[in-house]
Amino acid sequence: MNQEAFQNRVLPAKNKLFRFALKFLGNEEEAKDVVQEVFIRVWNGRDQMHEVQNWEAWCMRITRNLSLDRIRSLTRKQTQPIESSFDVRQETLTPHESTEAHEDMQRITQFIAALPEKQRQIIHLRDVEGYSYNEICEIMELDMNQVKVNLFRARNAVREKLTKINAYGL
Amino acid sequence: MDSKKIEELLNKYWNCETSLEEEQQLKEYFKSGEIPEQLKDTAALFQYFDVSKKKSLNDIGFDNSILNSVAPKKGKIVKLVYNSMRIAAGIAVLVAAVWFVRQELRKSDPPSATVEDTYDDPKLAFEETKKALMMISKSFGKAEEQARKLNMFNEAQEGINKTPEKK
Repeated sequence: MNQEAFQNRVLPAKNKLFRFALKFLGNEEEAKDVVQEVFIRVWNGRDQMHEVQNWEAWCMRITRNLSLDRIRSLTRKQTQPIESSFDVRQETLTPHESTEAHEDMQRITQFIAALPEKQRQIIHLRDVEGYSYNEICEIMELDMNQVKVNLFRARNAVREKLTKINAYGL
Repeated sequence: MDSKKIEELLNKYWNCETSLEEEQQLKEYFKSGEIPEQLKDTAALFQYFDVSKKKSLNDIGFDNSILNSVAPKKGKIVKLVYNSMRIAAGIAVLVAAVWFVRQELRKSDPPSATVEDTYDDPKLAFEETKKALMMISKSFGKAEEQARKLNMFNEAQEGINKTPEKK
């Protein structure tokens, strides 16, 4: 792979990698650092690229491993409080939309953030990024069964909380 | 899409039986805005997924910094060539300057020693040589004169030394 191919094929995945790293780290600067490191690793390992069937899933897996390493080195078991971290309302919605969806979105952000790490990652990979189960297996280094179980639990935990709001108006 | 189909898809979704295409259909549906009241919360969840995907790396210089760090080898070689070209240019200027200065010096001040020592006319050269040789010969003559005086003393001393033996 030459530099041009790298620029055209690998680099556009940066936002996906960034969002994934952000899910782990909860800090944009840290996430950016991780993405940078991922790209450098991918470039240095480009000779093995032809052995990799799905390079994007491969990149995502490196992102995951590096993010976990970083969490370990920061001795931070938990991501940062959601108020200061992944706030989807920032600059992604028009003012009109944000007034309308403000509360719902905030609640859902909290629900997802409250999920166990594996579930949170898997629901992100499937429902936000739209990866296939096989790709998720590869990224998370889990078998199909574990992926499905975790996704099922994640979706239903969120669903349960959503119905609770409906029932009790929380 | 009719609500029955959506109901069906949602049930499949909660059971993790939907395909990626079906999930995409759900996302599209909840984006449309005509959502029945009882599905508002579910809609919010799908909107959350949609909005989350818009989150992007907000850094214009990111690509370039990656590409720069990704191609350090080429950069180094270019730098090396560039630097050696600069050094070579410096040396070239210096050599040219020295050459010109020497050229100028030769023009304005013809080397004197060789011209003075060389006679174009062989007769003149012979005369000069003869003069020089004569000077040397004259000096030798002078030295011989002095040496003869020394010789006289020497002979005298020898004479004195001989006389007591005769007695």
